[in-house]
Amino acid sequence: MRQTTLCVPLEVKPESCSRLVALIEDLKRAEDKGSDPRTANFFRLHNQIPTLHFLSMSVFPAAEFDPMFIIEANFDGPPGPFWRQIDAVAGERIRAMIRCCKRPRDDTGALYDAVTEPGSKVAVARYLEARTEQPSVFHHGNRGLSRDRILEDHQLFLAVRAEIDRPTGGRPSPYRTGTAAQAQTLLRAAMLPVFPWLDDPAPKRISLSERISDIFRLLRFIVVALVALTLPGLLLAAALRWQVYLSMLGITAIIIFALLFKHRAAIAGTEVINRGKVHLLSPVKLLLLLVGAALTIFLATLVVTPIILAIDAIGRFATPFDTAAIPIAAREAAYVAALGVVSVFVTLPLIVLILRYNEMRDSAQDRPPQDERMLREMIRREDWIAQNHMGSIVLIKPGILRSIIIRAGHYGLGLFLRVTATDGYLGSMRTVHFAHWAFLNNHSRLLFFSNFDHSWDSYLDDFIEKAHAGLTLAWGSGIGFPPTRLLVYDGASHGRQFKNWALASRTVSRLWYSAYPDLTVDQIERNHQIANGLRKRSMTEEEATAWHWLL
Amino acid sequence: MSILETQDCYRPQRGVRGWIGGRFIAWAPALLGLLRRWKPILHLFSTWVVTRYDDVVEIFETDAAFGVTYAENLDVITDKQPFFLGMRDTADYRRQLAGMRTVCTAADLHRLADDAEARAQAMVDATDGRIEVVGLVRPAAFDTIARYFGVPEPAVGSLSVWGSRLFEFQFTGSPADKVWLADVEQIAAAFRVHIDGVIAARKAKVDRPDDVLSRCLTLQAQGAAGYSDVEIRTALLCMIVGGPPQPPMVLPQALEQLLRRPAWLAVAQQAARAGDDGRLWAIIQEAMRFDPLGPGLKRIALQDWTLARGTSSARTITKGSNVVAAFSSAMMDARRIPDPKRFDPDRQPHEYVHFGHGLHICFGLQINKATMPRMLKPLLARQNLRRARGSAGHLRKNGLFSDRLVVEFD
Repeated sequence: MRQTTLCVPLEVKPESCSRLVALIEDLKRAEDKGSDPRTANFFRLHNQIPTLHFLSMSVFPAAEFDPMFIIEANFDGPPGPFWRQIDAVAGERIRAMIRCCKRPRDDTGALYDAVTEPGSKVAVARYLEARTEQPSVFHHGNRGLSRDRILEDHQLFLAVRAEIDRPTGGRPSPYRTGTAAQAQTLLRAAMLPVFPWLDDPAPKRISLSERISDIFRLLRFIVVALVALTLPGLLLAAALRWQVYLSMLGITAIIIFALLFKHRAAIAGTEVINRGKVHLLSPVKLLLLLVGAALTIFLATLVVTPIILAIDAIGRFATPFDTAAIPIAAREAAYVAALGVVSVFVTLPLIVLILRYNEMRDSAQDRPPQDERMLREMIRREDWIAQNHMGSIVLIKPGILRSIIIRAGHYGLGLFLRVTATDGYLGSMRTVHFAHWAFLNNHSRLLFFSNFDHSWDSYLDDFIEKAHAGLTLAWGSGIGFPPTRLLVYDGASHGRQFKNWALASRTVSRLWYSAYPDLTVDQIERNHQIANGLRKRSMTEEEATAWHWLL
Repeated sequence: MSILETQDCYRPQRGVRGWIGGRFIAWAPALLGLLRRWKPILHLFSTWVVTRYDDVVEIFETDAAFGVTYAENLDVITDKQPFFLGMRDTADYRRQLAGMRTVCTAADLHRLADDAEARAQAMVDATDGRIEVVGLVRPAAFDTIARYFGVPEPAVGSLSVWGSRLFEFQFTGSPADKVWLADVEQIAAAFRVHIDGVIAARKAKVDRPDDVLSRCLTLQAQGAAGYSDVEIRTALLCMIVGGPPQPPMVLPQALEQLLRRPAWLAVAQQAARAGDDGRLWAIIQEAMRFDPLGPGLKRIALQDWTLARGTSSARTITKGSNVVAAFSSAMMDARRIPDPKRFDPDRQPHEYVHFGHGLHICFGLQINKATMPRMLKPLLARQNLRRARGSAGHLRKNGLFSDRLVVEFD
């Protein structure tokens, strides 16, 4: 099951901001029945939007901009049906919220008018769809598990637990006396009448086509990036003799690496220990890079060969269809392309060096101002259940090169996560359900939303400990971010400073809905593995023993 | 034979015209699918065909811009007596609607459903394992509804034929067809005379049964507005014309869809045997999505109106244009309906637009929901339900209307 993460950012009329907040709180009160034991919390969202995992509505105040209203949604399937479901549940309330927002100046202005005019019956789904912002990077925890699958797996888990704990009238439990394989057979027989879906094969979490598409898109990105990085080298390699070309590259590379080595250390006073080890070239990354390089050479050969043939033909006034010349031209093209690819060892370090100079001149905000009232409101709403939610917006540092790097970095990181984070977890982090970054206001602001397990503090600690490099790469472009080094070092490792900075960029999650508020990412994976074990008609003793540990 | 005594519930669709009509109905889903993708709001002469979910719902919800077109045909049937089906959102409309809701209450639904099931059960039991489904549903629907409203069969002719003929004219005919008009006028006049006679007879009766007619007469006696003899006649006539012809159209279509999906047929049979009427309705409703009552409903533009405003498919429909809101296409629009080609009885209520939407949503919606599954239930509960051999075992249509589907069971 493919999942979707997106957000709808809408600029708020400053004079309507308090009304908008009141409307969101009204919606929350109407949907979240709180302590009323007769109805489950958010039962309408739960029943009428069966694809929804997490939903939030927040209003971000800002000194430099008018407030921003953002709807964040994480759900199964494509967006169109989801927006219609939202419309059916809260269409008129959301219409009132949209009326508190500014008319867009782009081509969605007419749709805004149609949706907000008095008595309008135009579906708000249309407007939300038109104003949707796609994430630049996103992560789906428990990837490929639909909401209903998660809930059904959990019901099964509860039933299994009840069955195992069922009093046996003094006799030993049949699940503890036999072998693990016997216990699995017995449990399956006990569960099957109540959960007939155990007879069905487990649904594919990531389809083959989705997997192929993810890998293809990542390779395409690597090839495009390599082509961009090797273009100067490609032109030089075609114009110079290889001895001159390689000598030039070598000398330039030595100078750049020397300068990088000189500036590799943190600036005095900003030193910090990077707890997690950064693997710039892990086996997977190296393999992808090599495949990308081979593809680049291949594609460059394909492109350059006809150019050589055409130039040769024009030069000799001969027919361009001289088939004997093709292998010669292809050999020449491959030779030039291979030489061109080598130039990556100059262009890439050169970019890092320029960025390093930028980093050394960047300002970090050691003590960002914090709105005490908002902080209290955020704290009041946190830690009620196993999960929490955070939303943050930061300004992005200026500069053409940095702007290109941020966009390419986010795009590449997003594609890399799609290929590597397929087991339900974000690397060694096992607490993230749905998280994403998105650019706002013509890429001048960076939005971050996360739905995670446990407290905000422990969540950020987890990030700092285990994923500070990715976090620094993705968030290091934010103005005021703690000092970074070579794009991925330091930054988030400045734990206290980073937390202060992240906290100051947050806002209150006015409405936040989770379809399974009591389940952690780990528990969901465990439930699913138990269910998959029970789907099997038989197991080897070895398999059953491993499975039995999950119970 | 007089038209009043005909046994044909619908005008026979014969010849080349009938063949073309039949092909058009058969190809409508594919044609509408193409329109949905490439030309969601199609302008064809003075008619606009609207195919996407959002636009269809906008038409149904914007009553001020898109009025119903039923009044002209209704005038023929009711002899120019106004009925809310043909009205815009006026005080009269709301008064008439409230009047009908006073005498047709939710408390009646259980009894109606039981009655429908009992009638269908008796017919299924009377067979030897082979039954024609349209012929099963039609009498069950008409007898149940006619009894509920208090209108017995006429001495000459039958309510089911009269009702079906007038329904056919109301939703697909035009007074411009003089031959058709003459037939309809004759049937409608006889129907009105029959109901007038029923009202007069009921008034003379001291011990009145509890049905809609009796309730109307009680309110009349109390001096309530909206319950004159003519108003009662018009309401009863329109209810019998508008309501019971629907199940014999759509239930055989739903069963045909289930016969094409044996796994879901088995689930429906399981629900029927378990007496799970809610589940059975969900399955039938989903089956109907694949072959609904018709391709669309007609509306007329009461003012210039830009549909899908602010989107790339926006079109301005000029005042006076005919509009076909293709609700069958809307229910297959993947932009709003999750995985529309998948058979899924657990869909959300808003994903169904079977009985219209907004102001003119079918008055009998709740009656249909209560009685439709119960009419099929006795048949579905039988073992080894299957198509009859040959072409008889496949649904045959007469234009838009289900004509014949024979099934067998053990």
